Amino acid sequence: MIYLDYSATTPVIDEVLDSYVHVTKDFIGNANSIHSLGVRSKELLLKATKQISEILNCDINEIVYTSGASESNSTALKGVAFKHCKKGKHIVSSPLEHKSVLETLKYLEMCGFEVSYAKLMPNGQIDLKHLESLIRDDTILVSICAVNSEVGYKSPLKTIRQIINKKNSNVIFHSDMTQALGKTKVNLYDVDLASFSGHKVYAPKGIGILYKSKKVIIEPLIWGLTENAKFRGGTPPLPLIVSLAKAMRIMNENLDSNIKKVAQLNELLINGLNDDKIHINSNNLCVPHIVNLSLKSIRSETFVRALEKYEIYISTNSACSSLESSTVLKSVTDDKTINTTSIRISLSHFTTKLEINEFIRIFYKVYDELLFKK
Amino acid sequence: MEKLLLIKYGELTTKGDNRNYFICFLVKSIENKLLGLNYKIEKDYYRMFIHTDDVYEALNRLKNVFGIHEIVIAYKLNDSNIDSICTSAVDVLKNVSFNTFKVETNRSDKSYKIKSNDVSRTVGASILKNINNITVDVHNPDILLNVEIRKEAVYLYYERYAGMNGYPVGTMGKALLMLSGGIDSVVAGYLSIKRGVSLDFVYFESIPHTSLEARNKVISLANTLCNYGNIGHIYVVNFTKIQEYIYKNMKGEYLITFMRRMMYRIAEKIAEKIGANAIINGENIGQVASQTLTSIKAVNDVTNYPIIRPLATYDKLEIIDVAKKIGTYNISILPYEDCCTVFVPKHPVINPKLDVIHSEEEKFDFALLDQIFEDIINIEVPTKERHNEYL
Repeated sequence: MIYLDYSATTPVIDEVLDSYVHVTKDFIGNANSIHSLGVRSKELLLKATKQISEILNCDINEIVYTSGASESNSTALKGVAFKHCKKGKHIVSSPLEHKSVLETLKYLEMCGFEVSYAKLMPNGQIDLKHLESLIRDDTILVSICAVNSEVGYKSPLKTIRQIINKKNSNVIFHSDMTQALGKTKVNLYDVDLASFSGHKVYAPKGIGILYKSKKVIIEPLIWGLTENAKFRGGTPPLPLIVSLAKAMRIMNENLDSNIKKVAQLNELLINGLNDDKIHINSNNLCVPHIVNLSLKSIRSETFVRALEKYEIYISTNSACSSLESSTVLKSVTDDKTINTTSIRISLSHFTTKLEINEFIRIFYKVYDELLFKK
Repeated sequence: MEKLLLIKYGELTTKGDNRNYFICFLVKSIENKLLGLNYKIEKDYYRMFIHTDDVYEALNRLKNVFGIHEIVIAYKLNDSNIDSICTSAVDVLKNVSFNTFKVETNRSDKSYKIKSNDVSRTVGASILKNINNITVDVHNPDILLNVEIRKEAVYLYYERYAGMNGYPVGTMGKALLMLSGGIDSVVAGYLSIKRGVSLDFVYFESIPHTSLEARNKVISLANTLCNYGNIGHIYVVNFTKIQEYIYKNMKGEYLITFMRRMMYRIAEKIAEKIGANAIINGENIGQVASQTLTSIKAVNDVTNYPIIRPLATYDKLEIIDVAKKIGTYNISILPYEDCCTVFVPKHPVINPKLDVIHSEEEKFDFALLDQIFEDIINIEVPTKERHNEYL
């Protein structure tokens, strides 16, 4: 099997799974209980949270656990919108966002909020001048992801923050950093809110983080708040939280060398796919972990399914919205042969050169087969 | 040219014949802090030198060590020839950004032929000649370059970092700190460590009236003091029966007075047993009813042991400032009840009378005190990190 869909989700590392199992068995107490079993669970909860806050370089009280990045995004956007709607009802975002951001924004539009989207330039970067022109006195929130999930475009968060501050320094800045974690050095300095997900960094599915700066107040999405769940109600899922803390530690310890390794794999892959028949959409402004390309003459779904015969697993645009055409690429180019035939190959430091070479070989084989049939 | 750390001693320099005793303790403190690094310590009567490949990491770790006046990053030259001093000085400063500078020389090696002032002048001239756009300013320079000429070598330095001063931990022997989970007592502990005292701790708890979290809070406070070089034990006293007895049987408004008298009696016994020379606490004149001078006198009445109250004259805000500086404030304000807040009379006595106390205390069952020593829990600090295997 050659798995090249790491940006959809990652396999759980054995050591992390061990922690999940042991914590589930050894810590039966609810961290909210006051008896010694609860205190013991709380002790571990605090320790795990401290570890995470040190990795993200923030305060321990700024970590809010959620079920994943979609919940983090929903909490952030609805939380800011409903808490601050008296100051204004205008929100700015971009076509680079994940479905969980775009659909929440659509919902907020139904609730009476106004949403503007910054345009993209042909290189996939946000048109900063246009962004600047969108920010108004009644803008309360800007939400722009750190790394786009489909093509891998990185956004210049620092510059965006400066632009926001120039126009209206009261604006709250949220960034979906789900695809940035483990792929770049994450920096919370410029944002007020940020979303993360565990299952993109080799932790189990079902756990995510919302970073919420101490300075920002939001309306909770899920009520039932306790001392251990100050902004999101619910019993803290200790085994998931500890697994996430461990996965993030492992990720962080090898971040530089992992990025370097993936960059080499990326180069190998791009060189191997250098052919006029296809068009590579990812560029040097993208993280090396994601290679998005358009097949031009073949439908992406057909191609992805055809590769499965060889036990090769990749994605049409982002996994969560596989059956629609790409919103990102539509914003970058009008060329339909490009924006309707894209596939995403996503790499990991676990990927080997052998796998890449094999992938390239099968890629052309399948490509030619499908072309012939057509 | 080797880059190393040069340590200037703190108040221990006022010591004469026994200075070496203090220096040895300082070496021990430093060795504890540098655990895991590759280093070598050289010391004499005036200075200590630390050779290590990771100068900045070592520097960072030593910023919390008592007994150090100043830590400087020094460059060691084995060749004391004036030309080589000049070349090295330029090398050291050429990548540093500054506009004005001054050179100061001190020559502990008086056999060195050039006088200190002349060395400064020559080195200064050479720096002026070789680095562009800088001038000399003898009053308020951006950079002060020290040239220290010693028998074994010459040292150049311009980066200085303030040390913690005080005496090396342990030089003054051991004391027992009455540690609650509040803001004050841990600050009193910190100030005592600063004077060279090493601490063990006594903590009174009243489970089930108080929680395990309250105990954990006290453990974290004691652990925080380990950052400043203190290694010791916490003696956790189960105070429940005594407190309940006083509450049920004795005069209500004197409750805190009786409670504290019992605490002092227990603390004294523990102190004697562990060889502590004093009891230290966070009492502060007038802060609460049990800390008026008459209350302090009434409580102190049970012991002849030296009781040291480092915070006696501090204002609350001054105490909070220290607590924030040493990183205990955020732990102290966690909302867990301790044994002093559980049983509080509505109107505690402000001026307790000794004759009342003595006659009332006849009711007390002193056998309870003896029983307590059987269930004292002894916890070592720094505590071993728990649950690491999961993370």
